[in-house]
Amino acid sequence: MAALLELKNVKKIYDMGRDIQVEALKGVSFSIEEGSYTAIMGHSGSGKSTLLQIMGCLDRATSGDIIIKGTAVKDMNDFQLAKFRNKTIGFVFQSFNLIGNLTAIENVELPMIYAGVPRAERRKRAMELLKLVGLEEPEERAFHRPNQLSGGQQQRVAIARALANDPAVILADEPTGNLATNQWRRILDIFKRLNESGKTIIIVTHDPLVGQEATRIITLEDGAIIKDERIR
Amino acid sequence: MEILLEAFRSLGKDKLRTFLSMLGIVIGVIAVIVAIAIGAGTTANVTARISSLGSNVIIITPGFTGGFGGRAAVALTSVLQETDVQNIQQMAPDVADVTPILQKSFNVIYQATNTVVTVVGAYPDTFSILDLPLQSGRLLNQNDENSDANVAVIGNTIATTLFGNEDPVGQTVYVSTGSFQVPLTIVGELQQTGSKLTFNPDNMLIIPYTTAAAKLIQLNGGVSQIIASAKSAQTALNAVDEINNILYMRLQNTNQYRVISQNQILSTVSQTTDVLTLLLASIAAISMVVGGIGIMNIMLVSVTERTKEIGVKMAMGATRRRIMVEFLVESMFITIVAGAIGVGLSFLIAAIVTYLASGLGLTVIITWPSIVLSFGVSVAIGLFFGLYPAYLASKKSPVEALRYE
Ligand SMILES: Nc1ncnc2c1ncn2[C@@H]1O[C@H](COP(=O)(O)OP(=O)(O)OP(=O)(O)O)[C@@H](O)[C@H]1O
Ligand SMILES: [Mg+2]
Repeated sequence: MAALLELKNVKKIYDMGRDIQVEALKGVSFSIEEGSYTAIMGHSGSGKSTLLQIMGCLDRATSGDIIIKGTAVKDMNDFQLAKFRNKTIGFVFQSFNLIGNLTAIENVELPMIYAGVPRAERRKRAMELLKLVGLEEPEERAFHRPNQLSGGQQQRVAIARALANDPAVILADEPTGNLATNQWRRILDIFKRLNESGKTIIIVTHDPLVGQEATRIITLEDGAIIKDERIR
Repeated sequence: MEILLEAFRSLGKDKLRTFLSMLGIVIGVIAVIVAIAIGAGTTANVTARISSLGSNVIIITPGFTGGFGGRAAVALTSVLQETDVQNIQQMAPDVADVTPILQKSFNVIYQATNTVVTVVGAYPDTFSILDLPLQSGRLLNQNDENSDANVAVIGNTIATTLFGNEDPVGQTVYVSTGSFQVPLTIVGELQQTGSKLTFNPDNMLIIPYTTAAAKLIQLNGGVSQIIASAKSAQTALNAVDEINNILYMRLQNTNQYRVISQNQILSTVSQTTDVLTLLLASIAAISMVVGGIGIMNIMLVSVTERTKEIGVKMAMGATRRRIMVEFLVESMFITIVAGAIGVGLSFLIAAIVTYLASGLGLTVIITWPSIVLSFGVSVAIGLFFGLYPAYLASKKSPVEALRYE
């Protein structure tokens, strides 16, 4: 299968000032195939989130190369990176991060607004996505604010938002971390369904049960890969 | 469009804060518009009062003699001569009428009342040149001149001082020179006119020129003032020039005389009120700047509070430019709405000021330029003071912003 995403000797050093430096990634190399479902695991502080942010073009690596869909991230400026994130990457966060001023459906529309999708088309697609992620009574709940939705509902709206521009890859950082078990299950089912229909998914977790959902587990420790196994 | 809607939403979330941040601009806009309106109203008032004189009247007075700054109008050692009157009559084509005035202050006595009055010797045409309307009795005429009659027309204010509610017409007053007294029979009373250039007929006792020259104000061919009228308002300035030239030919010194026309006074007055209005408006404008600083403060707080939101939007693909525009639209939204409210309220305030000050003769005229100016400035303030917070918002690192709690 073709490599969707490739990391070559990626290092990330956080400069804390006063000559204190934290080496969060110590030269990480791997590639992600299109349509794969990868879990990145490791203890707290092992560098999982840092790795995800760099793969998601939210942050730049200190050294090394990241190539996504054949494009070297290093060569892009901030404007191009923003456009790239908008079209190519869908983020799902642990704490949902929906925008409180906006209704559920407006949150889903947000990436499409940035992409310049016309209003009517935006609405229609957003509603379809909300139905896809199984938001209960979507016609009504779509117009609720995030604080009127349960945690599980918020996370499903967030997944719909991540899917808005049909990105090449979904990057999820502890998407189940803030959820009760039954909700947690539903989220993982959605990811599984998405992967079965061909979407590439990378999920960061320290929970082995979540990790078991994936087809590949990359384990980090202290900023380096210590294990990279295919489990299916 | 979405940006506007979003700005509206996030401002609507904390209505009190939004309202308070608008307040400075609202007050500033009202202050600027009302200050300029009062200035414009005052100018209009003064202009109307001066215009009541008739725009073609010209008054010639002796100048201030260098360094002494004396009251030229009552100078006895007059530089102006009766020959000047004749010269102007013959040599100034744009002058319609010209007439000399004799003028001096005297004690005037009626029964037990004794007061200082400006006694003016004037030919009958003075009444028509200055447009002095009669209240009762009659004006002076050529017969009075021919016979050096001891008659007088009395100004409105001085009539009240001397006679109270009594009808002055037919009464006799005595003008005291110190060494002797001249009796004068009042034949007419003038209506209230207010000041006319250097002249206030309300406080004057006007007698025939020849009577004054023979019995009270001997200037040996000199005159106190000369009053002229231009043929039309359009030629008034030409007439002033002609008079200036004629006087200069004889006196060879522009400090010795002054030729005053209503046009000149109008432009002086409007210059003065313009300066005052500008001063008032600048003080008011400072409050708009203070309001702008308040908005900047609110926007900085808002940027910090919404750091996480900024991070999320960046992760979703918002460009830095987009984030910047979002915040800029918010600050401009505040100032545009505040400016509009300010313009609306200034009409209300102007109406209230007009109502409260109606007795004081204060007029408030809201002018278009003041509305456009203050509204424009408030929009500019939203842009200027919103720029830095919006810039800060757009410069945030997505990762740092996302980590913010
Ligand atoms: N912005 C930052 N500035 C400085 N150090 C950082 C920053 N972000 C992460 N680090 C450090 O880098 C290391 C890796 O952090 P990271 O957040 O990637 O870990 P993680 O595996 O996601 O942990 P967790 O499971 O707790 O989320 C840690 O030592 C952390 O303290
Ligand atoms: Mg983490």
